[in-house]
Amino acid sequence: MHDMLKGKCRFISSYAAALLGCGATCIRIEKNVERIARTFGVHVDMTLLPSHVITVVWDKDYTHSYNCQSKPTGEAIDFCRNIELSKLSWQIAEDKLLYEDAANRFEKIISQPRLNKWLVLLLTSTANASFCRLFGGDFKAVGIVFCATLIGFLLKQIMLEDKIDLRITTVLSAFVASVIGASGYLFGISGTPELALGTSVLFLVPGIPYINAGSDLFAGHYLCSVSRFIQAVILTICLSLGLCGGMFLMQMNFFN
Amino acid sequence: MELLFDILQDMLFSALAAIGFASISNTPFSAMKYCALLGAVGHSLRFVMMNYMGIHIVISAFVAALIIGILAIPFAPKAKCPPETFSYPALLPMIPGMYAYRAVQGLVLCLSSNDESAFDHYFYLMNFNGLTCVIVVAGMVLGVTLPIFVFKRISFSATREMIKD
Repeated sequence: MHDMLKGKCRFISSYAAALLGCGATCIRIEKNVERIARTFGVHVDMTLLPSHVITVVWDKDYTHSYNCQSKPTGEAIDFCRNIELSKLSWQIAEDKLLYEDAANRFEKIISQPRLNKWLVLLLTSTANASFCRLFGGDFKAVGIVFCATLIGFLLKQIMLEDKIDLRITTVLSAFVASVIGASGYLFGISGTPELALGTSVLFLVPGIPYINAGSDLFAGHYLCSVSRFIQAVILTICLSLGLCGGMFLMQMNFFN
Repeated sequence: MELLFDILQDMLFSALAAIGFASISNTPFSAMKYCALLGAVGHSLRFVMMNYMGIHIVISAFVAALIIGILAIPFAPKAKCPPETFSYPALLPMIPGMYAYRAVQGLVLCLSSNDESAFDHYFYLMNFNGLTCVIVVAGMVLGVTLPIFVFKRISFSATREMIKD
């Protein structure tokens, strides 16, 4: 009985931690875990905290229990992993997978590689350049933003690969991107240099954490919601500091 | 004709923005076309509401996000993905990032200002931008998540369809 509960509890706890780590909303984690627990024939009490998942698994009669704490795994938001893990919960429910088989599939999912980093770099640069156009920038400004994002985001990728703190990475990426973004002023290239400068750092805005914070708020997970919101605000402050630093270096006015 | 051109241009660039920002979050390629479509529809709707109908950014962003959220529900079983995996990236082109960092710039300038009138001005800019950003994001989140909560059965069983196929 003990080994059975232990195995299931450790699997469920790791599963929930992986979902939390890849940026799933709390309500999705709860739904998926409930589905798995029902199939495994156990009861689960789960506490979702910003940096921990505490799981207690009971047998059907509430006579034996096992508890486990896991830290969220994964470094960044990963919708691919979110989808695959949600799919796994249905496979467990519908194919009645044993937890050993489920654990094998789980290991496979969390070892899947992310999208090619050069492709992401290109798509992100195009996205930020498109952003500049949406704000009304001319095509020269769009070109400046593309270059600024290319260099700024490449720096972010390199620093994160070297496991440098995300906040320091954000400040430095914003600084570099804004210095390049200011080239419209420096060389008189564009008719809308202020838009090139302003948009050059927008790829660093943590949009998904802001949205997840709102979703958790509506679902009643206030602690996770506040934590995600503060994390997003801190990153916004970091990118603003980098931008201010870049503008200071280029001797520009903050508001025109 | 000019309106149509503006809308098409807005749709094209917001679709590109949605795809690019989705790639940062490792969205699968199969879901990206839905990101692009929803991003284009949502952003162009907000563009028309703000620029041609004179509606405030908060209401425009809320309505656009609500439309994205509603459209994401029937697309979820088709894409075989949870709706938030493509509706959230589609929302990203509308995140008011400019307001967010202008608020922080306002704070920096508040602290570095020498006289009272300059301080008051920057304090106003910080509050105006910060408040607008927070309310716009709250409205957008409400708009995009409401349909997920209302249509819970579809939203949380989208990935189930994959098994049946």
